[in-house]
Amino acid sequence: MVKSFLLAFPMMVLTFVMLSGGRMSDDPKKMVAFAITFLFVNILFFLMIRTGKTDKYRSILFISYAVCFVISFITHLIELRGSMAISGANMVEGLTPFCHIVIPMTLIPAALTKTIIFPGTIIGGFASIASMFVLWIGASLALGRGFCSWACFFGGLDDGFSRIFKKPLIKNINLKWTYLPYAVLFVVVVTAALTLSPTYCEWLCPYKTVTEFVEVTSVKILMQTIIFVSLFIALVIVLPLLTKRRTQCGLFCPFGAFQSFTNKVNAFEVRIDQEKCVKCKRCLQVCPTFSVDEGSINEGKMRITCTKCGKCVDACPKKAIFFHVKCTPLNSTLDRYRVFFLYPAFLFLTTMAGNNIQDAIVKTIRLLTTGSMF
Amino acid sequence: MQAFILGISNGAICVAYCSPILIPYLVGEGGNIQRNFMLIGQFLSGRFVGYLVFAVLAWGINKSIIHAGGQRELFIGFAYVILSLFLVAYGFFHIRPSCSAGFLKGSLQKAIHMHPAFLPAFMGFATGLSFCPPFLLAVTGAIEKGSLLGSMYFFFAFFLGTSLFFIPIPFIGVLRRFSVLPIIGKMATGIIGIYYFYSGVIMLIGAVKW
Repeated sequence: MVKSFLLAFPMMVLTFVMLSGGRMSDDPKKMVAFAITFLFVNILFFLMIRTGKTDKYRSILFISYAVCFVISFITHLIELRGSMAISGANMVEGLTPFCHIVIPMTLIPAALTKTIIFPGTIIGGFASIASMFVLWIGASLALGRGFCSWACFFGGLDDGFSRIFKKPLIKNINLKWTYLPYAVLFVVVVTAALTLSPTYCEWLCPYKTVTEFVEVTSVKILMQTIIFVSLFIALVIVLPLLTKRRTQCGLFCPFGAFQSFTNKVNAFEVRIDQEKCVKCKRCLQVCPTFSVDEGSINEGKMRITCTKCGKCVDACPKKAIFFHVKCTPLNSTLDRYRVFFLYPAFLFLTTMAGNNIQDAIVKTIRLLTTGSMF
Repeated sequence: MQAFILGISNGAICVAYCSPILIPYLVGEGGNIQRNFMLIGQFLSGRFVGYLVFAVLAWGINKSIIHAGGQRELFIGFAYVILSLFLVAYGFFHIRPSCSAGFLKGSLQKAIHMHPAFLPAFMGFATGLSFCPPFLLAVTGAIEKGSLLGSMYFFFAFFLGTSLFFIPIPFIGVLRRFSVLPIIGKMATGIIGIYYFYSGVIMLIGAVKW
């Protein structure tokens, strides 16, 4: 108990600084929101340390983060523009918030034309391009593809839906579909480079349904709207419910495919102790992003797509799966590697989630007390 | 642009299906990387000529059949819809078109002895005419262009897109590391097929007089 508290204490200090932004607000609603958020995240971190369970508590914060992000983002947009729809004039003014999923599409055009092919602002404003790049580079170095389970503000949505039913209704999914994100990545990167426009955002991004979308002013935009709403319903709601997997993240997201390569340079990984493993395939059944297959069980390591969510680590009945720091001895009995990973991962999650959770709480209190969120 | 994207999305599969013909030849005939590049150059030239033949054919179809019928948009829209559905099925499900130069496999050794200089170019010509869904869609796209120059330009862009994937062939050993490339390439083709389906539907909507 004392050891767990001592290990959790540095996180309390860090989250206090990150959540408060260095100064306390005078607004009682904001103070309440801060207190609730601070307690919420630190209780979860303490439980992670104390119980040895990672995904069980990570998922609570991750899903809350996604829900609060949607509430905070939509209300912010309505406050700013009066609608979730973005007009042509807004785009010309560079008022479109930039999101990390656009990053792979911007790299080739940026290298060739020194232009970011996105109607957002480079510095300043709401969700600027520079801030998202800095965030992405930091998260990639610290977490690799762990970004998808510890930093992405969308991932919690399909993660949440995938946990609603107790058992999956669709069990056998052909693993060839796990290559689809690479195909989507390939197509969107090539088409973005050739057309100098963010094609994934225009045509495919399902998350536009719960954030912002282009005002429907033509048949083309209507078709695009039908496509992304259908993809949202299928990949973020229906398939996660039926398969108990994060289908948008594991079977479609081009950013996820791109981010997988950063696992090669990241220091943390998830390994399987071959001596302890009894090949029960529980890890294969529970992995939300299809990152465990027969080959990885035999080799003792996860596929490149592993998001380090810790679900397999929690589920393994023999405690054969463990977090590991590359270039150190393989030892499944040591919890210290997991704790080493948890500090940067949880701090990232809290920093990203904190403001959204606080904002959503403030707006909910406002709704309850005044009848309006604004 | 459309033709280049279609070519790029199809290139990995062209290489995957035609490399069983090309690689044994390169292994047998080629020596160093420089020589392999020369052979690939001859192969691609033959492929390009094959495409130009189809560009002329596509222009001919446009001039004779479609203009005579007066239903250009309807015809091409319908062709786009049907062929893109084939492309989607081909991209996402287990359909394996064979390389049209496959017949060369058996008679390869004999042919090498008879016409050693023309063989790579002839192989390129034959593999260029594989009637897979992406190729048929390219034919439809070229028909849509209307002019001979437009049709040839369309096939030139398609050729460029597919040819990019032949560049690493001289470094044959490297390709073995990417065994999933054909799967990803096929799926990318399927995604492009969805876009063509959309284009076809829009064309049909435009063609129907409400």
